[in-house]
Amino acid sequence: MASIDTISRNLMLDSLREYAKRRIPYDLIRELDEKNEFPADILKEMYEHDVLGLHLLMVPAEYGGVSGGTFDIYRVCEMLARIDLGIATGVFATFLGTDPLNVGGTSEQKEKWLRRIASENLLVAYGATEADAGSDLINLRTRAEQVVKNGKIAGYNITGNKQWISNGGVADLYTILAMAPGGPSWFLVERNMEGFSPNKHEDKHGIRLSNTAGLSLDNVFVPAENLIGMEEGKGLLQAQAVFGYTRVMVAAFGLGAGMEALEQAIRYSQQRIQAGTPLSDKQGYTHKLIVPNYVKLEGAKTYIEDVANRLDSGEHGLQTEGAIAKYGASEWGNKAADDAIQALGGYGYTKDFPVEKIKRDIKITCIYEGTSEVLQMTIYRGRWQEHLKSRGRYYLDMADKLDQVHAGEPGAGAHAAALALRALAAVLEECRVHKLTRHQHVTFKLGALICAAETAAVFATACAAQKYGETVRFDRPTWQAMSRVFAREAALGVAMEGLALVLGASENGGDLAEAVNMTAVQAEQKGMIADMDLVAAKLKQTFKAK
Amino acid sequence: MNIVVCVKQVPDTTEVKINPETGTLIRNGVPSIINPYDHFALQTALELKKKHGFRVTVVSMGPPQAKSVVQMGLALGADEGVLLSDMAFAGSDTWATSYALAKAVKKIGKTDMIFCGMQAIDGDTAQTGPAIAQHLGMAQVTFCEHVEVDGRRIIARKQIDGGYETVECRPPALFTMIMHKDYVPKYPSFLAVHASLAKPYHVWSAEDIGAEAQYLGLKGSPTQVSKIYPPPQKEKAEMFAGSGQAAAERILEIMRKEHFTQ
Repeated sequence: MASIDTISRNLMLDSLREYAKRRIPYDLIRELDEKNEFPADILKEMYEHDVLGLHLLMVPAEYGGVSGGTFDIYRVCEMLARIDLGIATGVFATFLGTDPLNVGGTSEQKEKWLRRIASENLLVAYGATEADAGSDLINLRTRAEQVVKNGKIAGYNITGNKQWISNGGVADLYTILAMAPGGPSWFLVERNMEGFSPNKHEDKHGIRLSNTAGLSLDNVFVPAENLIGMEEGKGLLQAQAVFGYTRVMVAAFGLGAGMEALEQAIRYSQQRIQAGTPLSDKQGYTHKLIVPNYVKLEGAKTYIEDVANRLDSGEHGLQTEGAIAKYGASEWGNKAADDAIQALGGYGYTKDFPVEKIKRDIKITCIYEGTSEVLQMTIYRGRWQEHLKSRGRYYLDMADKLDQVHAGEPGAGAHAAALALRALAAVLEECRVHKLTRHQHVTFKLGALICAAETAAVFATACAAQKYGETVRFDRPTWQAMSRVFAREAALGVAMEGLALVLGASENGGDLAEAVNMTAVQAEQKGMIADMDLVAAKLKQTFKAK
Repeated sequence: MNIVVCVKQVPDTTEVKINPETGTLIRNGVPSIINPYDHFALQTALELKKKHGFRVTVVSMGPPQAKSVVQMGLALGADEGVLLSDMAFAGSDTWATSYALAKAVKKIGKTDMIFCGMQAIDGDTAQTGPAIAQHLGMAQVTFCEHVEVDGRRIIARKQIDGGYETVECRPPALFTMIMHKDYVPKYPSFLAVHASLAKPYHVWSAEDIGAEAQYLGLKGSPTQVSKIYPPPQKEKAEMFAGSGQAAAERILEIMRKEHFTQ
């Protein structure tokens, strides 16, 4: 996928930030949140070509867009999430809704529909989910029956109900997944088509600025040329082909919203004086509520950027990586937002302060576009195959690479990351030998451990490299300290939890402490508090009180 | 008419910190922005372009990443962009910088109006604009908040102590701009940023503009900054985060406590 150059991308981000500052102040967001109201005027304005033209990011330049790549879209999603996750979801729905076209559309379909989306600023919705078909689309009930005229398929009559569709009540164009005779297929449905009607707007826990509604399709006739790809049965493949990429977007939401909550807490902690000193100077506060969360999100960010860059450089699929990116960023972002409320104490629990809303909003990132549990399973499945195929070498080879990274740059946390990977390899092997993956709990837990270990590996590798990404806001010693904190926690977590998992599931499991190298993992914890002290001090310096 | 707008990339000073030990700016992780006065100058020039069809060229001097402010000018509607970027320029003070910018203006060709911001928010010298006019032997009107063109007459509203002065002049002339109180800075759309990549953009070295090395960089700079330090802190202010209403209630509460009101 093509990408935008760094300077242009940053100019676009500046424009988005300034627009939000001027047009979407927190008082307005709070009011809309209370009223459970979708800001149609703002969404439309953000799509105006001379205001922002946000939706053009998803449209190739040849159809009137600006050809954004995965990295560009990640950066924009991250910023949107900082502004408001509901608005971000509204924009994301257009991105997601456009995806089946981008992936599976014929050149004529792209020419027609992508150009229309670009030039008419169409709000798009992605209609896959149904009451019984969420993460598991096999139970799809919506049907598309062929309408044959003069011996040719003239079109399809679509009947069924969709549920929890973002932009459901407000979109101009819908991509609808329905079961055609040849299998699940995507169809383009316009709002004004006969028999099509959106249901009521849901009253949600969070992202209340996002319109969410069910859709009713009662014998909606769509012409044959609205079947995406002009071939039945490609729907699931088309949906799965973009998971790596769409999950990076939701990962960016967890990251952006989580970071925003934490940064607000860091600024607040410098003003709040308790027992004579600011909260930001107390280890009991920073090392519990701030530093571990920030470090996790910094790791998640590095991982997201790695996946985005790989997708932009032409790698396909990356479903396991997309799942790791989303699982880590959304779970850690959710925890960060929760701790941000704690960090603001009573103030954080009131609606006067945005962290309360961020916490409600961010929870959705653990649910939509693959729940955390589905992702744990996806991650486990993907890597379990690699473990078996490589006869247990997959993580050992990765650890060997980390050893090389460590030899070149000993301060980047690569040694601890290698310990995490080797411990993981040992746990996976023990699971294989004792057939422990028959326990679903084991497989899901493995998914979580894999996420931590792989993120540590990517973080340490990036920290050891000479060239830093454009989003790193810290000097080298601080960034490396963050990576060390992350990797130590990952190593300890994989070793301890892996050990507990194996012992808990196995009837005759042996002593794993040696296999996971517990002695080395423990020794690696040396210097942890000094690193956390450094990170706490630098966070305070970077996000000073306003 | 042909207009040149001089813009500078500066660190966002609301985010800049000074290292108290070394007396240098901590720029790590600090975003760069277009100098806000230059932004206003650019918008003034682009409004004149819109109204009269003038041609606008944006010029900046700085490291390669300063392309950003030139491209922003192009995205907002300028016709051509120039970045003076060369190690020979590094360390230039306002005198050497204005010499280089004046040389660039000469290379650009016939120029009727030059717009600059009143000053840059990182250096606050307010010297570069006037010095460019001096190098070019051009008339100058400083501290303008509005500039209008009527045929060959240029009418500028200039801020003076306690009021305004209307100054009329003829081209060529240079204007340094303060910010109009009702000014809303414009930012380019995604599409405009994308389209700006197709506009003419040049990177010129010292040699390209025929600048003599002895007048450039640290060597060509009669002034040098020896130390930067933050002003001594007065009493600490307490800031209230959250909504406007919550902050107002808190302020009222304190005012009552301190018996400013009942």
